[in-house]
Amino acid sequence: MSQQKVPVTVLTGYLGAGKTTLLNRILSEEHGKKYAVIVNEFGEIGIDNDLIVDADEEVFEMNNGCICCTVRGDLIRIIEGLMKRRGQFDAIIIETTGLADPAPVAQTFFVDDDVQARASLDAIVTVVDAKHILLRLDDSHEAQEQIAFADIILLNKTDLVSPQELEEVRQRIRAINSQAKVLETVNAQAPLDQVLGQGAFDLDRILQIEPGFLSEDDHEHDDAITSISVSSDAPLDPSKFMPWLREVTATRGQDILRTKGIIAFPGEPKRFVVQGVHMLMSGDLQERRWAEGEPRTSRLVFIGRNLDHAELARDFAACAA
Amino acid sequence: MIALDEAVLADRFGRRLACEASVSAIEWVGDVAWFACGDGAIRRADMTGDYKPLAAHQGAILTAALDPNGQSLLTGGDDGRLLRVARDGAVEEFGSFGRHWVDHIAASAQSGLIVAGVGKEAMVWKRGATKPTHRFAFASTIGGLALDAKGKRLAVTQYGGASLLYANSSDSGRLELQWGGSHLACTIAPDGDYLISAMQETGLHGWRLSDMTDLAMRGYRAKTRSFSWNRRGKWLATSGDTSAILWPFDSKTGPMGQRPLLLGASEALVSRVAFHPRQDILAIGYADGVVALHNVEDDRALEVERPGGEAISALSWRGDGSVLAWGAEDGRCGLLDIGSQPR
Repeated sequence: MSQQKVPVTVLTGYLGAGKTTLLNRILSEEHGKKYAVIVNEFGEIGIDNDLIVDADEEVFEMNNGCICCTVRGDLIRIIEGLMKRRGQFDAIIIETTGLADPAPVAQTFFVDDDVQARASLDAIVTVVDAKHILLRLDDSHEAQEQIAFADIILLNKTDLVSPQELEEVRQRIRAINSQAKVLETVNAQAPLDQVLGQGAFDLDRILQIEPGFLSEDDHEHDDAITSISVSSDAPLDPSKFMPWLREVTATRGQDILRTKGIIAFPGEPKRFVVQGVHMLMSGDLQERRWAEGEPRTSRLVFIGRNLDHAELARDFAACAA
Repeated sequence: MIALDEAVLADRFGRRLACEASVSAIEWVGDVAWFACGDGAIRRADMTGDYKPLAAHQGAILTAALDPNGQSLLTGGDDGRLLRVARDGAVEEFGSFGRHWVDHIAASAQSGLIVAGVGKEAMVWKRGATKPTHRFAFASTIGGLALDAKGKRLAVTQYGGASLLYANSSDSGRLELQWGGSHLACTIAPDGDYLISAMQETGLHGWRLSDMTDLAMRGYRAKTRSFSWNRRGKWLATSGDTSAILWPFDSKTGPMGQRPLLLGASEALVSRVAFHPRQDILAIGYADGVVALHNVEDDRALEVERPGGEAISALSWRGDGSVLAWGAEDGRCGLLDIGSQPR
C-alpha cells in the first residue's frame, strides 16, 4: 500500500555559480535514472530534460500560529501533480533562484502531510562560485542562508582563485556551516554519487557531528550566520534535554536555521538523533548503537544568527543526567 | 490477490478494470464512464466491452470536466493544454499555455461557460468558443474553481481568500473574500448561499454570501479534496478524515453551531465522496482502496471494493444513479451496476 517515496534534491546558489552546469551533468550522465526537474521561471536556460516544470516560488505562511513556518505552495501543488505521472521518473530536482530562501523549500517537506507521504528531501546542494562568494556573503542574506542550509556545498570554479583566496573561502564557509560536506570542483565536476542519494535528512544516516570550527573569540559581526557546536561527555537526561531543545527552537526558531545533534541518554545503547529546520524538529533513536569503546559524547550544532555560544553551552551542559 | 474475506459488491455486480495509470477524474459521457488518467490517456468503459486507452495529452491529465454540450470531455494537462475529446475520439485543442499546467476546469451546461485555472489566470470560453474568450488574473496561483448551479457566478480560491465574479463578462466586478492561509478546492452551495473552500492547513473555510459571515469547519486530519452536495443541497459531504464528514445546510444559519454527521468510520482516510443523484446514499472512497456505499439515514453500509492498493482518487455516479465508477492512484478501477442489484 505504501509507495516508495521519491527523493528530492534541492539545488541552490547564485546565478552564474554553476548550478545549471551541475544540473545538466546530472541529467546527461549515464546512470539510467530519469528526473523530473522543477525550475524557476527566471532561471538560466538550456536545461535538457523531458520533464521540466516551472515553479513560481510562492511562499505561503502557514496559518498555524508559527511565525517562521512558511512553505512553498507551488511545490506542494507541483509534487502532487507529478505523482500522477508515477513511474515516469525516479527522482525530483528542484532548482531555486539565487534569491530564494531555502527554508520554505525545506519546510514544505516537513509540514505538508501529502508531500511527506510521497516525497522525501534528500539533500540541499548549494553551488558556490569561489571567485565571487566572498563579495556575495558581504552583501546578501540569501548567499549566507544558502550556505547555512546546505548539506552539500559545491565550491566551484576553484581554478579561478589563488590558493590563499581558496583557503579564505573555505574558512568562511566552515564558519557559517561546519556540518556541510564541501566538494571543491572545476566546472561543477563533482562525483554525482556524492551529490545525489545522500539521505541528509534521514535520521538514520546522520553519522557524526563535526566539532565547531570557530571558537568564541572569532565572533564576527552580529548579523553573520555561524555554526555553534556544544558537547557533553556526560549522558543527558531526556526529561531535561527534550523540553530545553523544544524551548530553544520555539523561542529562537527564527534565528536558528538548522539544528543537528547526536545525543547519549543514560543506559540507552542506541544513539538519539535530532535534526530540524527552524522550529520544525524531528528526532528518534537510531538503529545504530554506540560502538564498544566509542566515547559517548553528545553533540549538538546550531546554525544561525545571534546565537549566544556561552549560554547555549551552559544550558546544554545543565541537561546532564 | 486471494480473496479470503467476504465477497464485496464488485465481485457480484461489478466490473474491474486496470487502467495502468493514476486516475485523475471520471466523468460520464452519456452512459459511458470516461477515466482521465495520469499517462495522458482516456479509458472509456461500461459494464462490457473493451477500454483501450485513447491518447490525448503528452503528459498527465490533471483534471477533467464534462463539456457543456454533454457529448464530450474537457481535459487539462501538465502539457499546458486544454483539450476537448469527442465521442468519436476526435481531439480538439481549446488552448495551449506552454509550461503552465491546466490544473482546474469548471464547465456548465446551463451557461455554456468553460473556465480553466492556469497558473494565476482563469481562462474563460463562452458557449461555442474554441479559443479563450477572456481571462481573469489573480495575485497568486489558483487553488480551486467553482461555478454556481446556473453556471454564471465563478468562485476562484487562492492564497489569502477567494474572489467571486461573473464569468461571462470580461470586466466583471469582483467580490473579494479574505481569509488568511492558502485556499484550495472550493464549492458553491446549490442554492448559491455559501462558498466553501478547503484549506492547506486542513479544515474548511466558508462564507455565507448574503452577509459575508465567515464559517470555520475544523478538525480534519488531512486536506479536503472532495466535496459532494446531496440532491436537495441539505448535506455537504467532504473528504479529509477517517469518516466522511457531512455538514448540514438546511437551517437558516447553515452548519453554524451544528455538529456534522460522520459516516463510514475507518482506519483509512476518506479520499473521495460522491452522493447518489437520486437517493441519500453516499459513495465513499478511502486511502486504502476501499469503496463503500453508506445510507445517510442510518449509516448502513455496503462494501463495494475491498482494501488493497492505493487511494481512491475519483468516484462518479452515472447521471441516472444506476452505475458507480471509481478509480485509484494505482490505476485500479471499477464499475458497480446497482440497477441490477436485487433489493
